[in-house]
Amino acid sequence: MVGAFEFAPAIAALPFVSFLVALFVGRFMPKKGALAGITATGGSLLLSLWVYLAVLTSGDPHVEIVHTLIGVTDPFSLELGILIDQLSALMLLIVSLISFLVFVFSLGYMNDEGETGLPRYYAGLSLFSFSMLAFVMASNLFMAFMFFELVGLCSYLLIGFWFRADAPPSAAKKAFLVTRFGDYFFLIGVVGVLGTFGTAAFAGDGSFPVLAEQALAGEAAGINTFGFDPQTWFTILGLLVLGGVMGKSAQFPLHTWLPDAMEGPTPVSALIHAATMVAAGVYLVARMYGFYALSPTALAIIAFVGGFTALFAATMGVVKREIKQVLAYSTISQYGYMMLALGVGGYVAGVFHLTTHAMFKALLFLGAGAVIVAMHHNEDMWKMGGLKERLPVTYYTFLAGSLALAGIIPFAGFWSKDEVLFEALLRGMDNPIFLVAYAMGLIGVFFTGLYTFRMVFLTFHGEPRTTIAEDPHHFGWNMKFPMVVLGVLATVVGLINMTPVAELTGAHIEFLHIWFEHGGETLTVEHYGALLEQWAGYGAVDASTALVLGSGAVSLLLALAGAGAAHVLYNVPDPDEHTDKLGSIKTVLFNNYYQDEYQVWLAEGLTANVARGADTFDQGIIDGAVNGVSSVSLFLGDRARRLQTGVVTNYAALLTLGLVVLLVAVGILGGWFV
Amino acid sequence: MVPSQYYLVLSAAVFCIGLFGILTRRNALVFLMSVELMLNAANINLVAFSVQNGNLTGQVFSLFTIATAAAEVAVGIGIILVLYRNFNDVDVTTATTMRW
Amino acid sequence: MMIELLLGVCLVGGLAVFLLPDRYSARLSFGISLLPILASSYMYATFDGVGNALLEGSTLAFETRVNWLSVGPYELFYHVGLDGVSMPLIVLTTILTTLAILSAWTPIDERKSQFYGLMLLMEASLIGVFAALDFFVWFVFWEAVLIPMYFLIGVWGGPRRKYAAIKFFVYTNVASLVMFVGFFLLVFGLGDSVQSLGLPAIAGALSAPGAVGSVGGLSPNAVKTAAFFLMFAGFAVKVPVVPVHTWLPDAHVEAPTPVSVILAGVLLKMGTYALLRFNFTLLPEIAQQYALVLVAFAIVSVIYGALLALAQQDLKRIVAYSSVSSMGYVILGLVAFTLYGLGGATFQMISHGLISGLLFLCVGVVYNTTHTRMVGDMSGLAERMPITAGAIVAGSFAYMGLPLMSGFVAEFLVFSGSFAADFAYAPVFTAVAMFGIVIVAGYYLFAMQRTLFGEFSVSTDYEITRAAVHDVVPLVVLIVLIIALGSAPEIVFGMIEDAVRPMTELTTTQQADAGPAGMLGLGVSLLGGVLL
Repeated sequence: MVGAFEFAPAIAALPFVSFLVALFVGRFMPKKGALAGITATGGSLLLSLWVYLAVLTSGDPHVEIVHTLIGVTDPFSLELGILIDQLSALMLLIVSLISFLVFVFSLGYMNDEGETGLPRYYAGLSLFSFSMLAFVMASNLFMAFMFFELVGLCSYLLIGFWFRADAPPSAAKKAFLVTRFGDYFFLIGVVGVLGTFGTAAFAGDGSFPVLAEQALAGEAAGINTFGFDPQTWFTILGLLVLGGVMGKSAQFPLHTWLPDAMEGPTPVSALIHAATMVAAGVYLVARMYGFYALSPTALAIIAFVGGFTALFAATMGVVKREIKQVLAYSTISQYGYMMLALGVGGYVAGVFHLTTHAMFKALLFLGAGAVIVAMHHNEDMWKMGGLKERLPVTYYTFLAGSLALAGIIPFAGFWSKDEVLFEALLRGMDNPIFLVAYAMGLIGVFFTGLYTFRMVFLTFHGEPRTTIAEDPHHFGWNMKFPMVVLGVLATVVGLINMTPVAELTGAHIEFLHIWFEHGGETLTVEHYGALLEQWAGYGAVDASTALVLGSGAVSLLLALAGAGAAHVLYNVPDPDEHTDKLGSIKTVLFNNYYQDEYQVWLAEGLTANVARGADTFDQGIIDGAVNGVSSVSLFLGDRARRLQTGVVTNYAALLTLGLVVLLVAVGILGGWFV
Repeated sequence: MVPSQYYLVLSAAVFCIGLFGILTRRNALVFLMSVELMLNAANINLVAFSVQNGNLTGQVFSLFTIATAAAEVAVGIGIILVLYRNFNDVDVTTATTMRW
Repeated sequence: MMIELLLGVCLVGGLAVFLLPDRYSARLSFGISLLPILASSYMYATFDGVGNALLEGSTLAFETRVNWLSVGPYELFYHVGLDGVSMPLIVLTTILTTLAILSAWTPIDERKSQFYGLMLLMEASLIGVFAALDFFVWFVFWEAVLIPMYFLIGVWGGPRRKYAAIKFFVYTNVASLVMFVGFFLLVFGLGDSVQSLGLPAIAGALSAPGAVGSVGGLSPNAVKTAAFFLMFAGFAVKVPVVPVHTWLPDAHVEAPTPVSVILAGVLLKMGTYALLRFNFTLLPEIAQQYALVLVAFAIVSVIYGALLALAQQDLKRIVAYSSVSSMGYVILGLVAFTLYGLGGATFQMISHGLISGLLFLCVGVVYNTTHTRMVGDMSGLAERMPITAGAIVAGSFAYMGLPLMSGFVAEFLVFSGSFAADFAYAPVFTAVAMFGIVIVAGYYLFAMQRTLFGEFSVSTDYEITRAAVHDVVPLVVLIVLIIALGSAPEIVFGMIEDAVRPMTELTTTQQADAGPAGMLGLGVSLLGGVLL
């Protein structure tokens, strides 16, 4: 099975090939590059599966340098490598699976709808898969940054796919710019890590998390902390990298790009939200968890930002009219939960939620895409209603996804969200900051249930509110197949880690925990636990069975309460917009707490004005000085030439005068007149 | 022997007369004559110093100056002729086109 | 003999094109300009230089050293040769000249033979600048570049071409004078210890302690400092460093596209190349002593240049000001005086040459079809000119430092080099300079959104069609080169590293004594200042 690792680079390389194929010969192909993409991501999926099994049997991480960018050894070299361990093998599987399904879905969503520019679309999609797969496999932080940026490029190209309209290019620009702002900090972090440790490798004895740990223990020499106390400096570095994470994973306050990114084609949204761009941020935190575990401050900030984002985004999701907008805010909120989990030391919980979320969010987006196709590209939920009978496959799969999203037992989201909240509660019991974060996450569960079922009821239940909804457009297997696959997964994937059941029965069925207990010495969950305990002061808390069950029961009850509220308010034949009753609060929510406004003001109002001021200064003062020098010279020349009268007598007089002056001067200097 | 100072005073006087002529007269011919006076003032100096120093360098040099002055007069007369042809006058202040 | 061959081909070819009738000149000059590419590629492949040309222990490639004439106490040599810094720049020059000539086929329709002849003469001068190792020879070529450039802007330029050409010429010529004074101050300070103006000899003499004596009442240290800053001022105009940058946008806007390509792609590199050769190799201790001043210039260039680019409406001005910003990174890398700082700065010269060349070519193609360069005058060009639009997107992202393109490698190296530099607060200054990557993204994204995307419209009445093949080929070539250098930077970085590593040994290591609190405070206040 170890032979699988030899083919690991091909997991990323295959989509790259299909990118080239789609870009250059896609227009001559029957499905305009879709088949190349499906083949490539299908191949990646199979290879990922093989690699996964290889990791399962061998257990040890596989590290390999694939390509050397800068081969200088002093001060450090820059390399592209692959690191296959439990985390990346799992993530590869998720990414290639979702990519593959999105390609298949695109056949229905794009090809069957007669879109133009399909080679460009499939090229972008392939490049997106390539970048994300390479990012997941990255063996060092430098490479991770490179592909992080490429992921940003792909999102730019795909969000702006319909470039003839005004909104998509603008949304694409915003997505790139906001994430770029985060990446600015990330880049400083990468440069800082390389400057500090002389390496950016994630795994191995000489990797930077290990070196950092040794530095804290006072064992490592040759680590330049630029005059800071090591722990302070590592916190700074961690927070700098976190800037990139917050940009890509759309955490407050850099979340504003994500709702706008809904301007892209819906399959792209599914890819961005479930498996690629947004997941990249959280994945990065998990990837270098051995480094974050050394810094309690960084962890607290991660947890608090995560908890806040989870609640903050969920409240906005309640008032949105478009189906994709609701999903966008739910994505922000769900990634908040993952950050919360990672911040409170729940490494497995965070990755678990990342996994389940990938399944049900991809499903929900594909379902929304199906609804949008059925509705002839109308996204307003108030124009829908009653689609349940007309689109049964979509309805049942979408319902499975919604139950998972809301966290209703036994769907996937319940298990993972429950574990996230449980970990937060554990940590909250000895630190009030985490308790606040936990409380915010818990309230967020109620709103999640509310907005999710508001969306389901408005879309599928009740009476059709428009003629289009009465007779929706039908679509083929290529859209139903991915939804069914994901529907099944969204239902059952939570079973890999049923902590409350394990607690009750005592059976060892927490497969994800077991999975992460194996692998490289410095990459296991035990090692992270030890680091957390030693450096972040996350002592082991005794978790009684009652606490486990109680925590699960509370979150389930809240989710049910949210869903119930939605049922009361919206599961009627002709629902009203109850959120109108919120009055001015609704306005605030509808305008996203005016987050966009101030950021647009920062970008356009402030920066553009400063730039104009600088331009005026440049043209007026600096260039003015340059032109001033030439004007003064010209002016003086103009004056001086007036001596040239053309009258010979004047010249003679001047000559004489000059002679006299000269004589007098010589006389004075020579002392003739003394 | 007459002391050199007397020659120098004479030379200065001739030079100043020539200079005065140049500064006050407008007729080109008078101009030319004034220039000749100034040149000859220089010649007087040269010859005077030659005598004082007891060698012939200054006298030889003054011969050169005289020859140059002759050539200069030839050119000067030519210029005056052209001036007259173009401006119908030999007044040096009327020809002011060669400025700026 | 290879360098002489290069120079000879360009000079003879240039003269031949100059004299032949217009109808042959475009194709002929293109053909002729392929020869230097062949020659320089061959030289590149067989390059066997070791070390830095000016420093001890180096072996120059393709060296020629002939006694030329004597002036006063100085022996002047015709001395040319290449090391790892100059070799890639020569290849860049030959490639960009050919592409510029190709891109001139469409827009240049009068006095063709003179135009192409001057382009080839300029190529010869530029190669000479990068190859010369004797100050006298170098200065001849340095000044010779100005003459074809002056005519190329002044004759074939836009409406304000005379203003731009004169401004360019006077500005850079005065700068040359200042630099000249600085250099000779240094030479006079060296006194009898040098008998030639060869740069290696001068570098060797300077490396001896106490080599510089006092000149005209200035103490030896003052002589060195004055020489350093006079030369810096002179070269800064060429780079250009804020605040002596204002000739650049005018020259770019008025120059025809092919000339802009050479101007941004190669001419600006003369300034940074000379800074590397003169200031930073000859007087490293002064460079270190005043590192903070130089870093301030670098940061102001990066941030202020980027802000200016943000305010522009003319696509050419945007690219011009972003060049100011990018060249600031080169200064930053040079000042850092670490391997990655110096190497990254050199890499950035190559990379920026390709990327700015690409963007100017793109703007040229757009202008040839739409006859406007104003951002507000067009939108949705991607609809009608898909390949050009793709090239603009590629070029813009390359400028933003997208990974796997050369700009990323260059900027990353510069940043890591200066982050670990010895001067005080190096990480903070680096972080502030890095904010340029956000602003650069801002203005290119805005410009792309408004010109390429949205509904198609052009305010000038011209038929918008796909660009001609000979317009598109240079774009494709440059994109391929940018990606090649970005994904396999070792192609040139190995050579560069070999040449700049000796320079890092010139520095006397002094640990920065920056307290953490001061560092944080400075960082926050600087970044705050920048953001405001």
